[in-house]
Amino acid sequence: MPRKQLLTALAGVSFALSMAPGAFAAESRLKHEGEFIVDGMIFGLPEARVFEEDYDGPPVVGDYLTALPHLKPLDYEGNRTHHVRLDTFAQEVEVAPGYSFTAWTYGGSVPGPTLHVREGDRVVFTMKNRSDEEVVVTKPIRGGAPYFAQLQQNPYQKNAPAISPVPHSMDFHSGTVAADDKWRTIAPGESIEFEWVANYPGVYMYHCGTPSVLMHTAMGQYGAVVVSPREGFPTDDKVDHEFVIVQSEFYLTEDGDGYRYDHQAALDRNPSHVTFNGHVNALNATPLRAKAGDRVRLYLLNAGPSDTSSFHVIGAIFDRVWYEGNVENEWRGMQTVLLGASNSAVMEFIVPEPGAYKLVDHEFADAERGAVGTLIAEPRN
Amino acid sequence: MRHSIFFAALLIASGPVPAEPVRIDGGYFQQPILLDENTRETYIDAFYLDARQVSNAEFLAFVRQEPAWQRDRIPRLFAQPNYLKHWPQALTLGQRSAADDRPVTYVSWYAARAYCAAQGGRLPSLDEWEYAAALQRNASNQSGSEYAHALFAWYTNPKSRDLAPVAATEPGPLGLHDMHGLVLEWVEDFQLLLTQGDKTDLLGGSCGDTARFMPKFDEEHYATFFRYQSRSNFNARSTTSTLGFRCAYNVEEPL
Repeated sequence: MPRKQLLTALAGVSFALSMAPGAFAAESRLKHEGEFIVDGMIFGLPEARVFEEDYDGPPVVGDYLTALPHLKPLDYEGNRTHHVRLDTFAQEVEVAPGYSFTAWTYGGSVPGPTLHVREGDRVVFTMKNRSDEEVVVTKPIRGGAPYFAQLQQNPYQKNAPAISPVPHSMDFHSGTVAADDKWRTIAPGESIEFEWVANYPGVYMYHCGTPSVLMHTAMGQYGAVVVSPREGFPTDDKVDHEFVIVQSEFYLTEDGDGYRYDHQAALDRNPSHVTFNGHVNALNATPLRAKAGDRVRLYLLNAGPSDTSSFHVIGAIFDRVWYEGNVENEWRGMQTVLLGASNSAVMEFIVPEPGAYKLVDHEFADAERGAVGTLIAEPRN
Repeated sequence: MRHSIFFAALLIASGPVPAEPVRIDGGYFQQPILLDENTRETYIDAFYLDARQVSNAEFLAFVRQEPAWQRDRIPRLFAQPNYLKHWPQALTLGQRSAADDRPVTYVSWYAARAYCAAQGGRLPSLDEWEYAAALQRNASNQSGSEYAHALFAWYTNPKSRDLAPVAATEPGPLGLHDMHGLVLEWVEDFQLLLTQGDKTDLLGGSCGDTARFMPKFDEEHYATFFRYQSRSNFNARSTTSTLGFRCAYNVEEPL
């Protein structure tokens, strides 16, 4: 090609590039053949992969996975890809003094770890069904998520390994995918890998979707994903404390010298315990702490599996509430926020003065079965 | 053939006393789970079913006779890597759940089928197994809620590191031991075919899709449903501490 023609051709290419910057930026967000963009969001993710792996490493891996009530701040700009592992296995957990049962868990606690990502982030997720293994979460685990150190600092569920080999699955409400592919059930000893993109901001439930889904969730297989809005919340600069709270019911009955899941009670919506963060004492033995005048933000998920939550802080009013954690859904001045099963909210209040503030499910039959926590406020200065 | 294998097993290890298979008379089976909404009742022909699960000692005798099924020789296609992992060595039994009189576990569907074929038998079909279990339960005094409570307790905490010996409990009215509560048993057609419109779910079940299979919404039927469902979500290579089996045999009808 003569030199002049080559230059013309190159100029043409660079002109084309300069004409369509958006198209190129968008395409760089697509990672696999078949992915496409609608309204700026990514769909059409690759098929899930089910496989076997010789893996006995940390059952929770990822820098942004924490134990309740902690939330790992997003210390990066823009979007990134998170490589997340959350294995499923049985674990003996305590939900009230003297009430322990063999739970089915993600990561060894009920609820499981909280994942924090930003709107637009991509998650490459791996899960191994380790329900036929004894997995210890209360000893130091190298290479694991921050979740372990936090759990080990305050192991209020007295987590102990257990064996209960059962097929399980993982359903992230934060993902927009074909459930019969990504959320498919895997047998003990199998692993699954799939991707999802955090297309919508919010506080989302994840849970096992294997029938009976009532049994699998009531047995403990759920947790929260926080997808922070791309541009944040308008009060981000003013917030002094952030806490994650997951409300859920337990349906236990005596069995020999211990307790087990009671399916009839679950069908009848008659819980033995209703808890914040999986134990009637979780937020009382270790209260949330703030100072008078602080702005406190709660990320609240009602995991159910079947009850509503009428969440209220005694002595405070929710200054701002973002229903489902989406910054577009703003309410002001709420005394109580009603959440159905798998609904959520981000809610903020200003701590009025020093004292002890009770967090309750204002459906008092639930509060009196354990759905109570405490925030202790120190003087302002 | 079957009895000579038993005899060999007895020579090798002090396994459990052999149990004659039980004849299960033919009859109508009321489907406890409505896999096909138009089929509430199925006729089951008479067959024989082992009175108890296959033990470790019996399975050891089998892999001695058919070395291709030993854990260090079995092709990966036919079992997960933890096939017979609880045995101390490929041809050595051990303690607790690896003891000679305990039900064999960590066996794949392929291995279970091969074992039964070597005894001149086969795995029971899903309907045969469930029919036998239901017949025995109907003939017993166990209430629906007692059945459900026993099963939910076992599902959530099977104590599979130290299983009881086979046939350690009294047999039910039909002469069958431990149909529930010791191990989950392989059946020939363990995977459910569930349809939703023109889409068929080969593995059986998606989130919340339960009610249409239930003739009654009580814990008794959920306890049964959970067995159908979890069995279906295993694959033919699956090997776990709770998966065992017993064999069935055809009834040779006189001409």
